[in-house]
Amino acid sequence: MNPDTLRRLTLLCCATVSLLTTATGCSRWIEMAPLSETQDPGAQQIARDEQVPLIIDVIRTTRNGSPQNTSAETQQRILSSLAELGLFSHLSSGHDGSASNDKIVRAKILLSETIDPHAGGAAWKGIVIGASMYTLTPFLPLEYGYAARVSLELERWDGQLKRYEGQSSGTARYQLFGATPIMIEELKGHVTETCLNELARQLVHDTAFYTASSAPVSHSDIRTVSIRRRSPQIPDASSTPIPVTVSAPADR
Amino acid sequence: MTPLSLAARIAFALLVFIMAIPCQADEVTPHLTVGTQEISLSAGYLLPHRLTTEHTTKQSGPALMPSWAMVLTDPIGKSFYRGQLLLGAEIVYIQFQEPFLTHGVGFTPKIKYMFEGTGRLRPYIEFAGGPFYTDLGGRIPEESSRFNFILTAGGGLSWFFTSQFSFNVGYRFHHISNAGTRMPNLGLNSSLPFGGFSFYF
Repeated sequence: MNPDTLRRLTLLCCATVSLLTTATGCSRWIEMAPLSETQDPGAQQIARDEQVPLIIDVIRTTRNGSPQNTSAETQQRILSSLAELGLFSHLSSGHDGSASNDKIVRAKILLSETIDPHAGGAAWKGIVIGASMYTLTPFLPLEYGYAARVSLELERWDGQLKRYEGQSSGTARYQLFGATPIMIEELKGHVTETCLNELARQLVHDTAFYTASSAPVSHSDIRTVSIRRRSPQIPDASSTPIPVTVSAPADR
Repeated sequence: MTPLSLAARIAFALLVFIMAIPCQADEVTPHLTVGTQEISLSAGYLLPHRLTTEHTTKQSGPALMPSWAMVLTDPIGKSFYRGQLLLGAEIVYIQFQEPFLTHGVGFTPKIKYMFEGTGRLRPYIEFAGGPFYTDLGGRIPEESSRFNFILTAGGGLSWFFTSQFSFNVGYRFHHISNAGTRMPNLGLNSSLPFGGFSFYF
């Protein structure tokens, strides 16, 4: 084999390796935790005059146990999810005020996020990928884990409380060149959607509990509210949420 | 054009560029998440270090370094060292004006650790290494071959004018040698103060 042929072959091999690395190093996908089997209650019917308003007292967010400001997008998404149910006549903020004798349902929502960025693994894989001049990119996928739990506490006009909980988790797996901030948003979107779907399913199941005719308005002359230091979590740790764990099917 | 006048022109061009950027009046906090890309362009001037008596060459000249990097991790650590890891690659071009007008170009994967700092002012350290081709090799006693490797270690400061744009200044130590593939292989050592800018998206 003459030197020219050898040079051409070497160049061809280098080009092929570069193309393969680029082509296979751009993929990304999201894996959701498997769904547990839950029974779908199906569509329920509610008369318009049986609908009552829902007042959101608070939406609180924690990330890895640390309190955060709830983003406007998250609030909007939760409110839209509840509005789409059709169970309540309308939704409003707890600061709007309402007549104390109205039939209303009050809500407290806690969104608890757990992020596992696999930082150590990403760092080591990054060093190895860099040292290999990126040729190992297709063989060392990176990971980003996200889990969410949405707790919803609803208080009916007669003081009865019900708690609901939906939780889900997923992992974004990606090759180095496939990483974008959008990927993380997509993962969070899928996980949050699964949680909200689970909450909606539980609420639909309890439709009869929230109809206007389900209970009379409390006629006590003095209505009271608790004034206390804000607890770290709402609902508090001693409460027993409805134990339901649901995840959406894997996609992508 | 003397090397110093070229460096002064580069510094002046950077200054004009920075002044042309509209500064935001409100608080600027860069939000670098996993997958955020950084492209940057840096320029500096190479200054020689003769570490032994056998080193005689006073190589010097301007250097240009376009680079790309990607944020690999969310902020890690809980103390002053809290920061994010970036992985990327860089092209290094050096125009050796001394001892001969020659050129060098290299490609180096690089890893960068960017501290959280004050949010707007973020220090960083970086390491890079890769192949480097220069026609200075074979014309000086320290290096016999044109194909070499370049190793870089340094640090700098990034000042974020906006949440996506930063001005960077820093210092790097460069080592160029051929990894013993051909003798002699004393290697060239240099300092490289530099300035540049980055765009994050």
